[in-house]
Amino acid sequence: MTRVLEASGIVRRFGGLTAVGGVDIHVDAGEMVGLIGPNGSGKTTLFDCLSRVQTIDEGSIMLNGTDISKMQPHQVAHIGLSRTFQVLRVYRELTVLENMELSVQWGDISLLSSFRKPTKETTERADRLIDFLLLSRLRDQQASSLSGGQRRLLELGMALMSDPSIVLLDEAMSGVNPSLVEQIKDRIRILNQEQGVSFLLVEHDIRFVKDLCDRVVVLNYGEKLAEGAPDEIMENEAVIEAYFGDDGTEGAGDAGN
Amino acid sequence: MNKAVFKTIGLVLAALLVAMLFFLPMLGHYGNDSTLFTVTLLLASVGTAISWNLTGGFTGYVDFGHAVWWGIGAYTTGVLMSNESEWIPQQWPLVPALIVSMFFTALVANLVGRLTMRLSGPYFSIAMLGFFVFFREVVRVVGPLTNRGIGLTIKPVINRPLWYYITLIFVLFLVYLSWWLRRTRFGASLIAIREDEIGAEMRGIDTTRNKVMVFTLSGAITGLLGGMWAYQNTFLDPDIAFVEVRTIDAVMGTMLGGLGTVAGPIIGMVFLFVLRELLWTQESLLQTHLIVQGLLLGAVVLYLPKGLMGLVRGEVAFLDRFRERSSTFDGMESAVLEAQESSISDSENEHPNDPVAMHPTWDGRTS
Repeated sequence: MTRVLEASGIVRRFGGLTAVGGVDIHVDAGEMVGLIGPNGSGKTTLFDCLSRVQTIDEGSIMLNGTDISKMQPHQVAHIGLSRTFQVLRVYRELTVLENMELSVQWGDISLLSSFRKPTKETTERADRLIDFLLLSRLRDQQASSLSGGQRRLLELGMALMSDPSIVLLDEAMSGVNPSLVEQIKDRIRILNQEQGVSFLLVEHDIRFVKDLCDRVVVLNYGEKLAEGAPDEIMENEAVIEAYFGDDGTEGAGDAGN
Repeated sequence: MNKAVFKTIGLVLAALLVAMLFFLPMLGHYGNDSTLFTVTLLLASVGTAISWNLTGGFTGYVDFGHAVWWGIGAYTTGVLMSNESEWIPQQWPLVPALIVSMFFTALVANLVGRLTMRLSGPYFSIAMLGFFVFFREVVRVVGPLTNRGIGLTIKPVINRPLWYYITLIFVLFLVYLSWWLRRTRFGASLIAIREDEIGAEMRGIDTTRNKVMVFTLSGAITGLLGGMWAYQNTFLDPDIAFVEVRTIDAVMGTMLGGLGTVAGPIIGMVFLFVLRELLWTQESLLQTHLIVQGLLLGAVVLYLPKGLMGLVRGEVAFLDRFRERSSTFDGMESAVLEAQESSISDSENEHPNDPVAMHPTWDGRTS
């Protein structure tokens, strides 16, 4: 199977604290991988390293066979890695359509093109994605008027504008009402199964991870604790201990899920 | 107010203002030399505020040293057109001197931008203040080029109405440029940088390139305005070419009008200018007019953070706070309404006639 993303020995330190300590992780084409772990285990830091928002101290990251370890985030976005954020990053002042059009299409990177109006193809693509994400009636509204869940969908759409081969979803369900969770889950499943987009997702809702993911990686204290099929992971003693503590009473805040 | 009505009134007022400005030199007593000189300076200030707004308003990089570009542009024109520079004694004609001034300022702005646009927030603002002082002192030190601190004199070839019209047309072009830029993807990328730079990077925007680009453009515009001012003023020294007040005016005018809007810098600068004229011509306020201006800026930041444009649109800080307080009393009711609205919108989305049903995949293929 083609390997879309392969990170080896990723180390990220903040002064004396090692937030990520030598993690290996990979995602194959069309695969959906969950990244879980208690609060502070280094999930978002690892996401930041993979998407080049943060530099890495050691290790290497390959995206579709290209070394992206020293690239800028926008360069990584152009060659097929896109992501969403734990804290929503949509542009409140811009309309839904403008938010989508802003996200540069793959290959459309020249400075000159940014002084032109979005091409017909870009607008058509944005419209198709807006339809697909069930946001058609909000197309010309400012993002500030959208609900939390609708903004999550919009952010997903923005991430898809660059035609990525892999999308990193950082807590895509955070603050979303239950009816929209099902919609988002449904859209992600279609994207993965019918369009072949690979996903690496951080999620606190274990049921969500279990429903969607082919494989789960567990982080604890910045290191990989376990890896395997969702059912195996749910029964893994070390994972249960990391979440609940060894006396089975101490929660990490995520255990309720 | 209805958005379309608001827009129409705005356009009519703008057209009237432009017509008035075009006919000003023909108005006999009102279009005299002194009035034209003053209005030309006002137009140049509007131009400076528009260029400051590109970096400070659209991109969110508050530049406290913006007047440095005015100074560099003015001095480049001065050095080229005066015969008092030892290194360049030839007197250049006006147009080539202005073109060189604009490009030279753009070049310096580009180099400075590559260094400072990596910084964020107050670090950028203070670094720019540092560059302002640095270049002012460089002008004093490079004596043979700039005639030391003594200053440079440009031979006056004054045709005030012609000069007025040139400035007016240039400023109208700047208004159009700012309007057009805001509507391009480049303009939207600047807003994205202001609102969330990391997010913008992840959406594929080369934020460093776009920031340096807009900073260079902003520097070039102000450099050209500085060069035009030097020619009109016929004399310049470091203390009148590099003046902090030009930055303060640009910041104050833009904030008064509406930061990050196209019309804001224009409305704000005109308002500030008229207010200043009214205040300092009052005998009782002769000593205190600057205090009144300072208080006004403080009040705007506190109560009208979106400036006069915000006021027209009804976005007023203390009214918002009042609305928030009122809504707290109706908290329960609002929560219930919101929940109902949310369930309605969700069920609307699931409606079988939704276009999604006909476009089940996002790349246009049907599954």
